[in-house]
Amino acid sequence: MISDTITNASATAAPTSARDLGKKKRTNRAAKLKQSKLGLRREQWLSQVAMINRGDKEEMDSNRRIGSEKTDQRDRPVENLDGQRREEEDNSGTHRHESFIESLSNSPNSILSGMNSIPNFSSSSSSGSGGSCSGNITEEEDADADDDGCLDDWEAIADALAADDEKHEKENPPVSCEEHESIKESASPRDLMNGSDVAVRDANADCPRTMSRKQKSNQAWRPDDKLRPQGLPNLEKQRSFPVMNLHYSSLAVPSSCPICYEDLDLTDSNFLPCPCGFRLCLFCHKTICDGDGRCPGCRKPYERNTIKVETSIQGGGLTIRLARSSSMFCRS
Amino acid sequence: MQQSRARLFKEYKEVQREKVADPDIQLVCDDTNIFKWTALIKGPSETPYEGGVFQLAFAVPEPYPLQPPQVRFLTKIFHPNVHFKTGEICLDILKNAWSPAWTLQSVCRAIIALMAHPEPDSPLNCDSGNLLRSGDVRGFNSMASMYTRLAAMPKKG
Repeated sequence: MISDTITNASATAAPTSARDLGKKKRTNRAAKLKQSKLGLRREQWLSQVAMINRGDKEEMDSNRRIGSEKTDQRDRPVENLDGQRREEEDNSGTHRHESFIESLSNSPNSILSGMNSIPNFSSSSSSGSGGSCSGNITEEEDADADDDGCLDDWEAIADALAADDEKHEKENPPVSCEEHESIKESASPRDLMNGSDVAVRDANADCPRTMSRKQKSNQAWRPDDKLRPQGLPNLEKQRSFPVMNLHYSSLAVPSSCPICYEDLDLTDSNFLPCPCGFRLCLFCHKTICDGDGRCPGCRKPYERNTIKVETSIQGGGLTIRLARSSSMFCRS
Repeated sequence: MQQSRARLFKEYKEVQREKVADPDIQLVCDDTNIFKWTALIKGPSETPYEGGVFQLAFAVPEPYPLQPPQVRFLTKIFHPNVHFKTGEICLDILKNAWSPAWTLQSVCRAIIALMAHPEPDSPLNCDSGNLLRSGDVRGFNSMASMYTRLAAMPKKG
């Protein structure tokens, strides 16, 4: 057994450089394919959005099926290029692939089941002979590509759904509960998968996707969802924040005094004589206080202490002015 | 003196700028005296004053805006809070509830609101007030619309 593993190791170690080159080429090819796939999918998605606007779910499903099959057909050549070795030993693989296509063509739910089958398959092939080692690597790559493909496809579907939903919301602002429910339902299998697969799959790879999707559709998590990440800010928290904009707009400093229509200078705009927030220039305040002494905004008499504050402000302004003039005097 | 003049001049410019904004109010300053203004207001809809155009005369005092302008109707109007002969208006914001933040334009708006919602409990026109206080809304409406037709509408023929 030990010798076996050693030879296996040497066998894998010997052709590493050649394999690395091949691997690089393959990854390059895969990247290019992926790029073109992405472009194609974007086009598809755009046309979908344009077509689907009426919310015809059936139509969208068929589109989705076509799209997924296309991506799969595009994936196939890569696998064929990987060599014939796999053909003989990969009965399970092709079988897996077919089942994968089937599952893809069915529904998002079965996409998930197909994805679940990926780790099983790769583990079984890795338990094979040493000769299948390289095949195993390519297999994993392909599995990755497939993985990405179907995930992206899922994302595209989710995006289309979200866009569809938004469209609906625009068309009839009072959103019906049914639509929300349908979105929830379509989102729930994803959440289920997250929950069940956390042990097998890398949660890190998953989280950003779901989060980005969440931002797009705003429907992924209910506030009481236990799968909801703790770090996400909730609406209650945001509502509890002091609304700064409102605060400022209610006490917005007018550019001119509403009494004399003269422009407010810096001292005037910092002068708040009445708790009701009505601002006016110091000059008009003085004349009003000489008269009936009521705030023009709320018609309540000005409070005495605020007038004291005001005089102290005036005093401060006076001293500043004095200081300035004295400094100028010193310079000259 | 100087302050009220500057303020009235600013208001004049404001009125010129916002002429289109409020189609119910036309505020015109006297050519020679900035303390004399006249205004044309349209009677509010769904009232007996609908369709009429009423002329107001403003006499702005020297301490304006610390003191309210004196406003009276030049057009005859059958309204519980308007003196039938002199056109004097009984409106709180023209008396003790005046605030320097009000403008001539906002006074016009307040008068339009008063036309739509008369206060029969502080009447200057006792006949009109009595009609409303006794609940004879129909009688009041017919009288008011008759005077609107007689005084506030362009004469036909």
